[in-house]
Amino acid sequence: MGHAEETSIGVYSGRHYNSDQKLYKQFSAKTGIQVKLLEAKDDSLIERLRQEGKNTPADVLVLVDAARLERAASLDLLQPARSAALLRTVPLSLRDSKGRWVGLTRRVRVVLVNPALVKAAPIRTYGDLANPALKGKLCLRDRKSVYNQSLVASQILIRGDAQASRWVKGMTSNVTQPYFSSDIPLIRALGSGQCGVGLVNTYYLARLLNGESGPADRALARKLQVVFPKPAHVNISGAGITRYAKNPQAALKLIEFLASPVGGKGYAEANHEYPLKGYGDDAILKGMGRFQADGLSAEQLGSRNRDAVKLMEANGWL
Amino acid sequence: MSKPSPGLSWPWSGQLPSAPEPWPLALAVALVGLLALAPLAALGLVASQGQALAGLQLGDQGLAPLANTLTLVLGVGCAGGLIGTCNGWLTARCQFPGRRWLRLAQLLPLATPSYLLAGTLIDLGSRSGYRIGGLGWAIAVLGLGTYSYVVLLSSEAFSRTGARQQEVCRSLAVGPWGSFLRVALPLALPAVAAGMALGAMEVVNDFGAVQLLGVPTLSAAILERWQGEGDLPGAVALALVTLVLVALLLWSERQGRRRSRLWAAGQEGASPELWPLQGWRCWLAQLVTLAPPLASLGIPLVWAWTSWNQLPAQPAGDLVALGLRSLALALGATGLTLVAALVLSIGKRLVKANGVQLLADGAGLGYAIPGTVLALGFLLLGGGWGLAPLLLLVWGYVDRFLAVAKGGLDTALEGLAPSVDEAAQSLGCDWVGLVRRIQLPLLRGPLLVAGLLVFVDTVKELPLTFALRPFDFDTLAVRVYQYASDERLGAALVPALVIQVLGLLAASALMPSLDQELPDRTDQPKAAQSTVS
Repeated sequence: MGHAEETSIGVYSGRHYNSDQKLYKQFSAKTGIQVKLLEAKDDSLIERLRQEGKNTPADVLVLVDAARLERAASLDLLQPARSAALLRTVPLSLRDSKGRWVGLTRRVRVVLVNPALVKAAPIRTYGDLANPALKGKLCLRDRKSVYNQSLVASQILIRGDAQASRWVKGMTSNVTQPYFSSDIPLIRALGSGQCGVGLVNTYYLARLLNGESGPADRALARKLQVVFPKPAHVNISGAGITRYAKNPQAALKLIEFLASPVGGKGYAEANHEYPLKGYGDDAILKGMGRFQADGLSAEQLGSRNRDAVKLMEANGWL
Repeated sequence: MSKPSPGLSWPWSGQLPSAPEPWPLALAVALVGLLALAPLAALGLVASQGQALAGLQLGDQGLAPLANTLTLVLGVGCAGGLIGTCNGWLTARCQFPGRRWLRLAQLLPLATPSYLLAGTLIDLGSRSGYRIGGLGWAIAVLGLGTYSYVVLLSSEAFSRTGARQQEVCRSLAVGPWGSFLRVALPLALPAVAAGMALGAMEVVNDFGAVQLLGVPTLSAAILERWQGEGDLPGAVALALVTLVLVALLLWSERQGRRRSRLWAAGQEGASPELWPLQGWRCWLAQLVTLAPPLASLGIPLVWAWTSWNQLPAQPAGDLVALGLRSLALALGATGLTLVAALVLSIGKRLVKANGVQLLADGAGLGYAIPGTVLALGFLLLGGGWGLAPLLLLVWGYVDRFLAVAKGGLDTALEGLAPSVDEAAQSLGCDWVGLVRRIQLPLLRGPLLVAGLLVFVDTVKELPLTFALRPFDFDTLAVRVYQYASDERLGAALVPALVIQVLGLLAASALMPSLDQELPDRTDQPKAAQSTVS
């Protein structure tokens, strides 16, 4: 048993893309370290880790969304890692200042426009979605989406509470249709002309453009126009070493591998996400154009998540 | 255990009117009850660390989540109760072509995860430019997902009770409708109510389907408090308040029924004779019993039909491994749940002490809590003691589905006149003999149904499995959810179909013995009686 423990690590992951497993296998082949995997909902994983305490079998925690990473860190579930490789590969704004977690992939929440109904040119920032001219045309996903929560947190940081409140209020009064509970039906509603403009994550659109849900969806997605607001809101998935990891060295090796250009590429391409730097090799993502990130750190986003949810609730974001 | 001699030798002479409390049974009830309530107690501890209960609010939407939940409970209860009773009666007591198959098929909707049904519906709608969502759809989806409880429990009750009364009806020229409304239904009412109560509890704990359909309910408010606002104690407190509301609802329903209790004196001495249906009645019966299973199987199949190109090739070996894990977990959990439920139900009947009654009733309440929150209770228990995840998971299943198993057993025992126990005791039967020779044989049908329901529920169970399972231990339901929540329905569909197949296999293994239950044993008496009428 002691032998097996040395060469295996436990990973709790909030990502559930089957293609991730290929990457873990690749890592095992390269290093001889076996990866035991448990994928579950991010919040459940945080709670499980908390309750297991010193008994936890997990060495690495992978979570989706900046706020959750920050929450895990603030609950003291992660330990700082010292790694020159990580300092080199992960940009400053995409890692914890105390080294407890690093980002691995990036996704952007973009404005998606049906050009037959709404002119894209006047929409330059997220703020423009509050324009009363878009009344009845704007469609949104509900506030349970962590992607929306992080977006609002970013606007609180950029604009301040009062202005962010006005912005959310303006947007929600433009929404006349029921809120969506997922991104893909929202993209379809845009394509079919039920909605004129909406907010979606880049990878959902990329999947449709890639024909992963059939030619009809691809044709529909091609009619839509992506607008990267300036600056654009970037969210991440990321990982850290657990506080009571049995094998922190091996855990660090996995994280370094996932953050490296090779590993990171696999993690990102599996789900049409952007790698840590640049735009990657995904032709569909490249076709969407370039963006200018808002430069907010995931740490900052995480710290305002709770305020964001309250603000959304108070201003009618269902 | 010792049989009394034919003479007048009582084991406890002089104590006949009130037999002594069977304390081993009381002890067993206490053990099972405490194990079942332990996670709730752990949750209570979490809630007590937060603000006072008085500070609880439902957020800015005020009472909307509460109103939505109550509307759902009412709507799903009515729809499920109506269709369930109707289909239970038709498949148990009427004769029409295809009845046996259709009886098996009644389990299909239960084997279809409701979040998957909601997801496929929304997806199909959004392709054709139609928005699916709101209370009406939520009632339809959840009603479909829970009416099987009523069908199975009521049909078992219909085949068990009132056969002789029905023959009397016939001899008095009371038609099928009259016999259904005036005799069979009142006798099966406790079973119908038990099925509706299970449906209601499932509605209260459901999170996935209502969230997809955009209906903010109490469970959504609970999870938002935890995951959105990071207020764990507040979320748990809200869940416990919900639990108290559900307990009150269940208690008042039982009190309301107490006045109109109907007892049968043991096993009916006649086999149920089936009403033959002909012409349009036959067609209608087929339509009504076919529609719900067809919907729950058909909607995913229509999705697959229109999206053939999106069904990814899945390695068969992977599916087999997932299926075997699901099967093994479900078999283990079902066996343990049945034992636990038997202990509670029989204990409740035989041990009159108030504490035991309360424990037996309260033990099934875990079902009314959102699974994600219940899982937290188990994490609290397991984390501290370093329990093996698999042990914790099976404990969780038993706790969660205790209510499902107990529902049928309780109602079956409720319908058995207390005089039967008294007679047995007056004949010198001790409690072990009473259980072994009278109650267990009578509970055969309800046990079969309970086993079937718990099995299917365990195979499709998600929140506990998701949160408590060990490394590299995905099940079918886990895989379905992972894909569906990532909006990859094509990949979610295949494991979902395997869940349905497992459900059907279980149904075809157990249901036939339910059908044969009575005729096998009672062919002779029936022949004798028919000469009387």
